[in-house]
Amino acid sequence: MKESMRRFSGGVLVMLLIGPWTASAQGATEIEKGKQLFLGMCSRCHGVEGGGGEGPNLNRPVLSRAPDDQALAAVIRDGIPDRGMPKLRRFTDAELHAMVVYIRSLSQNTAAAVTGNLEKGKAVYQRSGCSSCHIIHGEGGNLGPELSSIGAHRAPDYLRQAIVDPAATLPRGVMAFPGHGFSEFLPVRVVTRDGREVRGLRVNEDSFTIQVRDASQLYSFRKADLQTLDKQIGQSLMPDYKSKLAGSDLDDLVAYLSSLGGGK
Amino acid sequence: MRMQRFGLLLICAALSATYAQVPYQRIAGADSNPGTWVTYSGNYQAQRYSQLDQINRQNVTQLKPTWMYQMRNPGIVETSPIVVDGVMYITEPPSTATALDLHTGRPLWTYTPNIPQDVIIIGSPPVNRGVAILDNTVFFGTVNCHLIALDAKSGIVRWDVAVDDNKKGYYVTGAPLAIDGKIIVGVSGAETGIRGFLDAYDAKTGKRAWRTWTVPGPGDANVESWGGTSFQHGGGSTWVTGSYDPDLHLVYWGTGNPAPDWNDDTRPGDNLYTCSLLAMDADTGKIKWHFQFTPHDVHDWDSTEVPILFDADVKGRRRKVVSMANRNGFYYVLDRQTGEFLAGAPYVKQTWTDGLDAKGRPFARRDADPKVTGTLVYPAISGGANWWSPSYSPKTHLFYQNTREMAGIYYKGDAEYKDGTAYAGGGGETKNGDAAYGAIRALESTSGKLRWEFKLLTPSLTGLLSTAGGLVFGGAEEGNFFALDSETGKPLWELQLGAAVRSPPVSFLIDGKQQIAVTAGSSLFVFGN
Repeated sequence: MKESMRRFSGGVLVMLLIGPWTASAQGATEIEKGKQLFLGMCSRCHGVEGGGGEGPNLNRPVLSRAPDDQALAAVIRDGIPDRGMPKLRRFTDAELHAMVVYIRSLSQNTAAAVTGNLEKGKAVYQRSGCSSCHIIHGEGGNLGPELSSIGAHRAPDYLRQAIVDPAATLPRGVMAFPGHGFSEFLPVRVVTRDGREVRGLRVNEDSFTIQVRDASQLYSFRKADLQTLDKQIGQSLMPDYKSKLAGSDLDDLVAYLSSLGGGK
Repeated sequence: MRMQRFGLLLICAALSATYAQVPYQRIAGADSNPGTWVTYSGNYQAQRYSQLDQINRQNVTQLKPTWMYQMRNPGIVETSPIVVDGVMYITEPPSTATALDLHTGRPLWTYTPNIPQDVIIIGSPPVNRGVAILDNTVFFGTVNCHLIALDAKSGIVRWDVAVDDNKKGYYVTGAPLAIDGKIIVGVSGAETGIRGFLDAYDAKTGKRAWRTWTVPGPGDANVESWGGTSFQHGGGSTWVTGSYDPDLHLVYWGTGNPAPDWNDDTRPGDNLYTCSLLAMDADTGKIKWHFQFTPHDVHDWDSTEVPILFDADVKGRRRKVVSMANRNGFYYVLDRQTGEFLAGAPYVKQTWTDGLDAKGRPFARRDADPKVTGTLVYPAISGGANWWSPSYSPKTHLFYQNTREMAGIYYKGDAEYKDGTAYAGGGGETKNGDAAYGAIRALESTSGKLRWEFKLLTPSLTGLLSTAGGLVFGGAEEGNFFALDSETGKPLWELQLGAAVRSPPVSFLIDGKQQIAVTAGSSLFVFGN
C-alpha cells in the first residue's frame, strides 16, 4: 500500500512538473508557427502583428466577422472575396489552428492609439469639402468611395495615408467591377479619333471597350474608336490634403473616419 | 417493284443518318468531313482547326446567333461539344450528359447519374469538358470517378464502371478519347495524393483493357526517382484529353503535378512521370517514351495541356512532331516517334529557371521554390497556359495559344497524407491587378518564336479555334467572344456574351452552313452567317 501510494504521489508530481510546461511549450510553438504563416500571407494587408493597413487591424478582442475561433478559421480558409480578402491557399487543420491561436494572441497587444478628437474630426470633414465626393450614411457626392463603414475596413494609419497621399492608397479590386485586383477609381484620359477629350474615372473595362464617368455623365467607348487611352495607374483624382489640414485636423479627421463602422 | 426497293433503301439511308453511327474510321478521317466535330479537339492530331471557310475574314462581322441553350445547373461550363448526324452532345456541370437537336438546340435527352452527397472533389471546380462518341455510344466521366456509356440515340445507360475510388480523391473532369474499340480516360486528384494513371476500356463492354500508372510502383523502372515510399501518393493526374497517331499507334497524354504540390520534403528526385508527356502503345498502354518538362516540380505545373501533332521540317529533315505550350511557360517541340527534344522556348515571362539544356531539361532555380513566407515567381499558379485548348493551323503553320502574363506567390505548407483529404502542402496566390494581362499569341510552330499577339485586359481561360477562313476564335474573362485574323492577329469581330468564356470553340455545318459554338457563363451559343 505504501509503495503504491508513493508511486502515485510520484506520478502526480511528474504531471505537475511536466504537464503545464509541455502545454505552454506547445502553445508557444503553435503561436510561432501561426506567426510565420501570418507574416507570409496576411501581413501585407493586415499589418505586421495585425496592426492593420489596407485590411482591418486584427489586434482587438472582437473581430466582427469572426466572433469565435471556428468562424475565424472559416474566414482564413475561405477568404471574404467580396471584400477583397482572397482565398489564398489550402490549409491543413493544424495550420488553420495555429493561425487562429496566433491571431487571437494579437488582441493582447495594444492597438495603435487614435489620438484625435472624433467630433472635431467630423467638423474637419464637413468644412474640407470631403462630402462633395464621398457618401457617408447616404449623404454626399458619388465620385469617390463610400465611407459609411470605412473604419471597419481600413486601419487608422492607412486612412491617414489616404488623406495625405491618396494615389498611394487607390482601392484594389473589392468591387465586382472592374474585377478582382484592379485599381478602382482609376483616373483615365480618353481622346476619341475625332478629337474629343474626356477625363474621368474608369467604371468598367474589357479588352474591347471602356466605361468612364466624370462628375456629370457616363461615357462608353469602343477602344478601336480612341486615339488615346491613358490609364493613369498610380494616380488619384482626389487632391492630397497634406498642406490643407492644420494643427490637429489630420488626427481628428482620422479619428472620425476610424469611428465609422457601418450603419450602427 | 424496283422502285419500291429503291424507296426502302432511301428510308433506311435517311434513318441511318439520324442514328449516330461514328465508327473509328470516321473519327480517324475527321479532316475529310469538316461538317462534323467528332472528337474533343476536332481530330486525333488535336489541332482544333476547322477546314470550313464559309465564315471568313470578309464576312465574319455578319455572324449572328443561330440558337442558344441554357445549362440546367449552375457551375463552371468547360464543355467542348461533339457534333455529328444532326445532334450536338455536351456535358453540363457537374456530371450531366445532354443531347441537343442541332437545328434548334432543343434537348433530345439528358442523363445525370447519382452523385453521392459526400463526393470528394479537391483540386478543381466540379467541371466536365465533354463527351466522346464511338459507333452509337456516347461516353463521359463523372466527379465520383465513373466512366459511363450511353446509347447515343436515347441516352440510356449501356454500362457504368467505377474508374477508381473517389473516397481516395480520384475524380474525372476530362473528356474521354475514343480510339479503335477503346475509350481512354484520365483522372484528377493529385491534390489528394492519388497515384495517377491513364485507363483504356473496351468500348462495347466497359471492361478495362489497360492501365498505365503515371507514377511507377515497387520494382518498376524509374521508381528510384522518388524518395522513400513517396511514390505511393505521388500524384500525376491525367485530366486533359490527349492526342493519337493512328499510323504510329501511339497515344500522347500529359501528366500532372507530383504530390504534395508545394512541399517537396518527402519526394527528393525527378518524380517521374509527373509533369511529363507520355507516348503509349494504343493496344497495351505500354510507355514507349516519356519526356519530363518539369522534373521535381514544386509549382503545380501540370503538363496536362493538349499535345498537338503535326509534321514539319525541323533540324534539317521532315519529322512527325508533337508540340505543347506547357504550364511552366515554355513551348516545346518533340519528335513524336522518339520523344527527342527538338526545340523549346519561353512564350511568357518566367523566373523559375535559367533556361533549358540541350535535351530540354530546365535549369531550375531553387530560389524560386515555395517558402512558408511566400516566393514571387512568374508565371502564376495557373501557368502560362493550362487546360484550355491551343490550336494549330496547317494553313499558317502557326500554333495559337491563349497565354497568361501574371506573377504568383508560392507558399510552402504542411502536408500529411490521409485518404480523400487535401495533400497539397501549401498553395499559390495570384497577383491579379493592373500589371497582369492575357494575350492570344501566334507562335511559329517549330520554334515557339512569337509571330503576333493580341492583348487581353486580363488573363483568360478560353481555348482557341483556328479555321480555314483565316480566323482564330477566342474568348475573354470579361465575356468578349472574338475573331482575329489568323495571319496578323488583327481583331475582326467581337461580341459581349455577358460572362466569362471558358469552353473551347468548335465549328461544324447545319444544313450546309458553317457554325461556331462556344459557351459563356451557363449559356451555349451557336453562331452562323
